[in-house]
Amino acid sequence: MLADEIAALLPRMRRFARALTFHREDADDVVQIAMERALGRSEQWEPGTRLDSWLFRIIKNAWIDEVRSRTRRAELFAPEEEGEHVGDDTAQAHQQRLAVQKAISLLSEEHRLVVGLVLVDGLPYKEAAEVLEIPIGTLTSRLARARDALQQLLADPTTRTR
Amino acid sequence: MRFSDETLMAYADGELDPQERAAIEEAMRDDPAIANAVANHRALRADVAAAFAGILDEPVPARLQPQVPAPAPVLSLDAARAERTAAKARRTWSWPEWGALAAMLVVGVLAGKALPGGAPAIAGNGGQVVAQGELASALDRQVGGQGNAKVKVGVSFAARDGDYCRTFVMGTSAGLACRAGGQWKIPVLSETAPEAGGGYRQAGSALPAAVLDAVDERIAGKPLDAAGEEAARARGWQAGR
Repeated sequence: MLADEIAALLPRMRRFARALTFHREDADDVVQIAMERALGRSEQWEPGTRLDSWLFRIIKNAWIDEVRSRTRRAELFAPEEEGEHVGDDTAQAHQQRLAVQKAISLLSEEHRLVVGLVLVDGLPYKEAAEVLEIPIGTLTSRLARARDALQQLLADPTTRTR
Repeated sequence: MRFSDETLMAYADGELDPQERAAIEEAMRDDPAIANAVANHRALRADVAAAFAGILDEPVPARLQPQVPAPAPVLSLDAARAERTAAKARRTWSWPEWGALAAMLVVGVLAGKALPGGAPAIAGNGGQVVAQGELASALDRQVGGQGNAKVKVGVSFAARDGDYCRTFVMGTSAGLACRAGGQWKIPVLSETAPEAGGGYRQAGSALPAAVLDAVDERIAGKPLDAAGEEAARARGWQAGR
């Protein structure tokens, strides 16, 4: 059943949404909107095409349509979120992950989308270009610029300490 | 450097064909700058993946799972947030949600619950809460999600015991009615949440948690589609055991 296949992709959908809007509740609201749209128009998915790409496209559109202007940037790194995931893992690795998440949150929306698809989810360029509805050459150059921007943010000590 | 940064990036991302890969691997052996650029691309990819990997292991919140009936749609983040906050506050002072047992205790209160300008819609009958009047006739007749100003019947489904059950919204009340013994028995009746600000959701689209829980407890399979509702209505909502 399609709903089951969609449900199986929920962890990846949540992860992609978190790359777009780091706040957990906002990201899950984006996923919930996307789930409602996907289940409501499941006949629009063409069997034989990748379900994950279709769902990511719906998430992208949901995020653009509904929520991006409302992202609570000021609360991106609320204390409750900073405290999570520290468990058995070293403080340094935890700091590194936070720095990367924070740097991604400071990217432009266009760059966050390509980073979320290719580097966070690991989609091949072809599928990522289909999600974004852009030619693969555009995807490649956009990804290269996004990586540059990300490297610069990570090299900037104020990104790490802010 | 003989290769563009984009090409090296594509190599690090595993996007090149075998011939291109071989050419870059040869260049990496000869030129530490190329090897270094590839290593940087790979390191960034690994760091980004690691920063988000933990999310895959988080439990997925129940509200995101495909469910029947769907939760109230999130139409905007601000509204969803306001609703979350309001729900927390409401918990402490709102009308109680009546479960099956409690419903029997409040029959006295509800027996007279009437639709605006109409006859009583709910009555106590031998210890059961049953629909009567316009609520009963709406439950008998409405199919396909239509509705009238007073009563709107929502999802219909076959319960595990074979009886047909239907959710309804009537004024500020919402409940579940199950057909048994020629009557619509009402195991759960609850107040609907007040519309929070700007009317961002359609009336009747959001059933109280107590009603949704009652549906989840009973439903066997999927809700009836329009044809299924027609067929059940044609049988007078007699259990299809």
